[in-house]
Amino acid sequence: MALPNKVLPGFSAALYCQPTSSPTPLTTSALSTVASVAAIAVSGNLLPVEAIPAFGQDDAVASFAIAGSRQSDKIPVQAAPTSMTITAAWNPADSQLLLMREDAKSGVIDRTFVISATDGTNIVYYAFNGRVGEFKIDSAPGAEAKCIFSVHPRGNQYGWSNNA
Amino acid sequence: MTTQQNPTRYVEVIQAQLQSVLGNIPVYALMNRNYATEGSGFVTWQLRNVHQPVYTGTTQSVKGIDRPTFQISVFAQRANAALTISNTILQSLHGYSGMYGGSGGIYVAKTDILWLYNSYDDKLGLYQIFLDATIDIPT
Repeated sequence: MALPNKVLPGFSAALYCQPTSSPTPLTTSALSTVASVAAIAVSGNLLPVEAIPAFGQDDAVASFAIAGSRQSDKIPVQAAPTSMTITAAWNPADSQLLLMREDAKSGVIDRTFVISATDGTNIVYYAFNGRVGEFKIDSAPGAEAKCIFSVHPRGNQYGWSNNA
Repeated sequence: MTTQQNPTRYVEVIQAQLQSVLGNIPVYALMNRNYATEGSGFVTWQLRNVHQPVYTGTTQSVKGIDRPTFQISVFAQRANAALTISNTILQSLHGYSGMYGGSGGIYVAKTDILWLYNSYDDKLGLYQIFLDATIDIPT
C-alpha cells in the first residue's frame, strides 16, 4: 500500500498520543518509520479531539537587508513544527485527556503524538515529539464542556510515513 | 469518547417526567388529538433533534453530548386552563436539572423551555399552546 491518493476529508484525520505517564518518545528516525508510528496510532491511544488544527511546519525566514540595496532578501530557514491548540469534548475520566492534564502540569514530559489520515485503505502519518503547554476547561453552557490543550513540538523531532 | 444514546430511553423518561409534573392532566405521546375531549386540558409531546455532534477521525465514539428537543403541545377547552398547564410546565421544568423518569431514569443537566406560541382551533374547540423543551444529557 502507498500514500492515500485522494483528496481527503478533514474529518478523516485523527490524533493519537503515546500511553503511560512517563513515555519514551520515538527517536527522530523512528518518527519516520511506519512500524513505530503505526504502533502508537491505535484506538486505545486516541485523543477524542473535535478537529485537528493545522499541522506541519511553521513558516520561518530570515530577512536580510543591506544598507543601500533596493530590496531585502528573505531566506527560508529550517522551520519548527507547528504548535497545535486542540479542543476535545471533556470527559474528566478519559485516560488520554488525563495524560494531557498531567503533561501540562509537568511541562517537561516529552511524548510522541501521531496524526493519521486515511482514505479507508491507505494511511498517511505525521508524527512528532512534543510537550503539553496548556490545559483549560471551557464550560460554556450551550454544549458539552470543552478541554483545550496546546502541544508544542520539539525542534526537528517529526517525521512523515505511510503504510506502504 | 462517548456512547451513542438510545432514543427509546428518552421517550420513556420524557413521558414519565411530564406525567410526574402534571399530575392528573393526561399526557400522551403522539396520540391523535382529534379524539381527545378532556375539558380541563391535556398534553401531547413529540421528540425531535436527537443528535450528538460527531468529531474528527473514523472512530465512531468521538462525539459530544446529546441535546434533543421535545415539543410539548397543550390543549384545553378554556384558554385559562391551557395557560395554567403551560405555566405548570415552565415552573417545574424550565432550568430543571436532575433525573427524568425518577431514580431509574436519565440524568438531565439542564432543561431549557422555549414557550413558542398559543393558538385556537375552532374545529376542535381547543386552545393550544406549544413549547419546546431542550435537554442536555451527559454521556
